[in-house]
Amino acid sequence: MDFGLTQQQQLFQEMVREFAEKEVAPRAAEVDEEACFPAETVRMMGKLGLMGVTIPEAYGGAGADTICYAIAVEEISRACASTGVIMSINNSLVCDSIHTFGAEEQKRRLLIPLARGEKLGCYCLSEPDAGSDAANLQLTARAEGNHFLLNGVKNFITNGQEANIAIVFATVDRQLKHKGISAFLVEKGTPGFGVLKVEKKLGIRGTSCCQLLFENCRVPRENLLGGIGEGFNIAMASLDGGRIGIAAQAVGIARAAYEAALGYAKGRVQFGQPIASFQAIQFMLADMATTIDAARLLAYRAAILRDQGIQYGLEASMAKLYASEVAMCVTTKAIQIYGGYGYITDYPVQRYFRDAKVTEIYEGTSEIQRLVIAGHLVG
Amino acid sequence: MRIVVCLKQIIDPELPASQFRIDAESKRQQPNGHPLVVSPYDENALELALKLKEQTGGHVAVLSVGQSSAVSALRKGLAMGADEAALISDPALEGSDAFGIATALAQGIQKLGHADLVLCGCESGDWADRTVGPIVAETLKIPCVTFVARVERQDRGVRVQRVVEEGYEVWEVTPPVLLTILSDETNIPRYPKVKDIMAASRRPIPPWSVSDLGLDASSVGKAVKRIEIQELTVPTRESRCELLEGDAQEQVATLITRLRERKVI
Repeated sequence: MDFGLTQQQQLFQEMVREFAEKEVAPRAAEVDEEACFPAETVRMMGKLGLMGVTIPEAYGGAGADTICYAIAVEEISRACASTGVIMSINNSLVCDSIHTFGAEEQKRRLLIPLARGEKLGCYCLSEPDAGSDAANLQLTARAEGNHFLLNGVKNFITNGQEANIAIVFATVDRQLKHKGISAFLVEKGTPGFGVLKVEKKLGIRGTSCCQLLFENCRVPRENLLGGIGEGFNIAMASLDGGRIGIAAQAVGIARAAYEAALGYAKGRVQFGQPIASFQAIQFMLADMATTIDAARLLAYRAAILRDQGIQYGLEASMAKLYASEVAMCVTTKAIQIYGGYGYITDYPVQRYFRDAKVTEIYEGTSEIQRLVIAGHLVG
Repeated sequence: MRIVVCLKQIIDPELPASQFRIDAESKRQQPNGHPLVVSPYDENALELALKLKEQTGGHVAVLSVGQSSAVSALRKGLAMGADEAALISDPALEGSDAFGIATALAQGIQKLGHADLVLCGCESGDWADRTVGPIVAETLKIPCVTFVARVERQDRGVRVQRVVEEGYEVWEVTPPVLLTILSDETNIPRYPKVKDIMAASRRPIPPWSVSDLGLDASSVGKAVKRIEIQELTVPTRESRCELLEGDAQEQVATLITRLRERKVI
């Protein structure tokens, strides 16, 4: 067992960290305050190969391993959690799904521009009445000649406003429950497909979170991803990979908060000495560092299993559950260490705190992760 | 145009001063597992070389003297776009001063074949003694222009902009020539692309020993060094605060006295 990164992974980490510190972090506060999509940063990430990290070069990706993907999401999220999730979703939920389940023609036509960052993807599973209960989708797909007609609404779709290609899950027969769910690749500009509402959010404010409307949206049959009725399996498989990304995002947010708190604690003087010299603060810092390290190791374990082609759903859920709760705990402690300064918007720890919360919610809430984990344990 | 860029791997100079430790015996910074990076001006030199290659064609090689870890610096060079990499690594080089390192680099440059341009950072990010580049030029018996910010290819050679106090000089030089490179807005190092990092990691970089370079081990290393570091210490910084008493006029008078005592004014 070796806990060190390979030379290749170290070089990759050095590049992403430098990019994140120089190009992503300086814009993070503005991205949050103005709730603006970091389009230029996303364009740069595409050029570097960060929008399709694990996708083979033949399909426009960089051909790196899942550890590199986790490193990238952590480093980018440490600088800006909004930018981190934009790349995470495009990489895992969108590119990986098409790479794993798509037909060769779909990969050539849609995956290559997505993996190169020339186009952006979004993943449309949640609905007003189907969040954690993903089998209860109401959005329908009705076959009509060489097309499917999609009708319904999707909720909380990250990148929904900017995405060029959406993976949309719909049911061909509600009676069939999860066995009726199918996945469709819907391209921006398809008649009947539009943004109904852009939500205002607590955190990750640089991403759009949209309600999308499908109204007699005609999707050509060649845009069916996988087969009829395979959608639920595609959704669950892609979420396993996505959870490694969210775990890494949570680690990145937590690390940013911890590093800020450590620096502040060393510089803030009370009672004639830096507050870092007080045991109460030291214990908090010790817990923060320890849990962040444990969360990262869980994420890396899931990533290694994925690269080895071994089932990793349990480990991905454990990593996502633990890392997201660590992010919430660490960012809360960071604000506590900052005291009053942590509660005002002049300092970034409040942003980390707001950004951390969503990691306990999206791509499967903490409660769903516990269900998944328990399902593996007790059958 | 064939260009050789000398890269030095150093401990990250951005490391907080509180983590800086000196090994008393070797009088060097303790590595202590700190991150290793390419010396910043060397990256500017590589970027300049890559831009020249992109503009007019050619071949860029990166060369380093160091321990086996320096392979990662060379791989970064390859990932950024260099065509070839070579590492000179030999226990005989341990403890070498600038003359020993320059001797090995000069031999390495010759082993790589003909070089029109040899580029070095104007100083390293650790020692900053600005000597290795000029000694390499002297060893190779080629001209050297230091503190170069910009290079432009011309029919018969290169036109270089050399930064001097309050301005710059423009030189026209016929290759082969060694240039030491400053940072400039035109040579900000690019980020290597992920796929190029992957490809660079697969490239073998066999280490060259001093005998591979045709050097006698006794001509380099600790035994023949000409510069002896007598003492190396981390500066201690003390801060004191004195609240001046009295009204504003008295405070100003005391302040002037204090500043004069410390020879600030």
